[in-house]
Amino acid sequence: MVTYLGGKPVRAVGGFFAMTLDTFVQMVKPPFAWKEYILQSWFVARVSVLPALMLTMPYSVLLVFTFNILLTEFGASDFSGTGAAIGTVNQIGPIVTVLVVSGAGATAMCADLGARTIRDEIDALRVMGINPIQALVVPRVLAATTVALALSASVILVGLTGAFFFTVFVQHVSPGAFVAGLTLLTGVADVIVSLVKATLFGMAAGLIACYKGISVGGGPAGVGNAVNETVVFTFMVLFAINIIVTAVGIQFTVQ
Amino acid sequence: MTQAVPSKPYVRLRRASDSVVGGWKRIGSQAQFYAKTLASIPDAVVNYRTELWRLIAQMGLGAGALAVVGGTVAIVGFLTITTGALVAVQGYNQLASVGFEALTGFASAFFNVRLIVPGTTSVALSATIGAGATAQIGAMRINEEVDALEVIGIRSVTYLASTRVLAGVVVVIPLYCVAVMMAFLAARMGTTAIYGQGSGVYDHYFSTFLNPTDLIWSFFQVVAITVVIMLVHTYYGYNASGGPAGVGEAVGRAVRTSMVIAAIEIIFISLAVYGQSGNFNLAG
Repeated sequence: MVTYLGGKPVRAVGGFFAMTLDTFVQMVKPPFAWKEYILQSWFVARVSVLPALMLTMPYSVLLVFTFNILLTEFGASDFSGTGAAIGTVNQIGPIVTVLVVSGAGATAMCADLGARTIRDEIDALRVMGINPIQALVVPRVLAATTVALALSASVILVGLTGAFFFTVFVQHVSPGAFVAGLTLLTGVADVIVSLVKATLFGMAAGLIACYKGISVGGGPAGVGNAVNETVVFTFMVLFAINIIVTAVGIQFTVQ
Repeated sequence: MTQAVPSKPYVRLRRASDSVVGGWKRIGSQAQFYAKTLASIPDAVVNYRTELWRLIAQMGLGAGALAVVGGTVAIVGFLTITTGALVAVQGYNQLASVGFEALTGFASAFFNVRLIVPGTTSVALSATIGAGATAQIGAMRINEEVDALEVIGIRSVTYLASTRVLAGVVVVIPLYCVAVMMAFLAARMGTTAIYGQGSGVYDHYFSTFLNPTDLIWSFFQVVAITVVIMLVHTYYGYNASGGPAGVGEAVGRAVRTSMVIAAIEIIFISLAVYGQSGNFNLAG
């Protein structure tokens, strides 16, 4: 009874780590599936860019709006650029990237792999002597990683631009003061930590999506549930990674 | 026997106009679905009460593998713990770099309520109860169970969508209490137990600047977001097509649409509530 209750989740965790290990081993073994990698990168980028930009604008505007209420009260609204930079580079940039890569890219990957799994196409690949990890999982995980890294840079830029327009044209802060405040507390180290975060997020999202995709069972309802679980588990793992990387990174970035 | 069909004139023009018209039609059908769902809520309460109770229980506890990790409550609680701890990590260190670390309690009371917890909760809701609803309804649509419901005389929009919207609103009220408590606790634990600030200092600034009106507004914000999230997710589930992969795609599309719409809704409600005065007074 105890093994029945505790067995399933533990086995899922074990299966996930086994697949992760396989993926890392296959990543350095030739031949590398270049075509699949490029196609998947293009696909993830295509479904992620628009939602990422649509999501980062409201969040960064909300951040500077809330922060400027505070700064106006102190009489220090010249420093609004500082708050915008801290919030956007350290948190909103990587988190929005996560939400979009896992909400848009990882769900689609999981749906695609899940549909192949329940039609036994993955087993068919094995029968033909093709390793599905090498042919399907490795390019997908790398594609999610690449796109997350690229996306986080553009998300930060768009977020800061949105914050600039809102602060300058709606809240009437002088543009020069905003731009001068940007680099007051945020430096190169913060940007590097932020990009490292986004890379880790992309890799974790890709691994979880592929694992849930190739371990689907139970027909159409199974695929839907697998996608749902992908979203939930990636969000949980990514928020956990975020707090750890932030706590470690802040030792190097704040003097 | 093949039949010859004459090719239509102005193919490109026609294709361009079709995509524009198609977009408008989609917006129209969505608006129609949302209006119908909201208008049928009284009907759902009167006629489909059993289904409503079942959904409330299921959404609170989660379905399938999600119940194993503790259900919706645990997931939302976990996500807000991490973002609350983030206030401690980022806020304490950033404030300490300018010599103001005593104000971390203030940062928790101010940013958690207005910004972080509504944002995190909206994302968590769209991932858990939202995506779950799309997956369930989508699977029913693919298996032609929705048509079967209509055939046996059950109003499918009321039975599937209206009940879920109402159940979402009922579930989110206790859920949001948990979320806010977790965020406050995590921020306090991080600041006092890990970074070693005196708990008296923290509590003083926290309770001085915690504005009950803000809390009530953030509550309304989250209830309004929940209605929109559930509407979007039920729509994408109800109109899923294209086999098993179609259900998965519908879940993904619903998650990203509802996250974007929830973010835009948060900013509009915030601007409406705090836009004029800021509702904030440093002198207390």
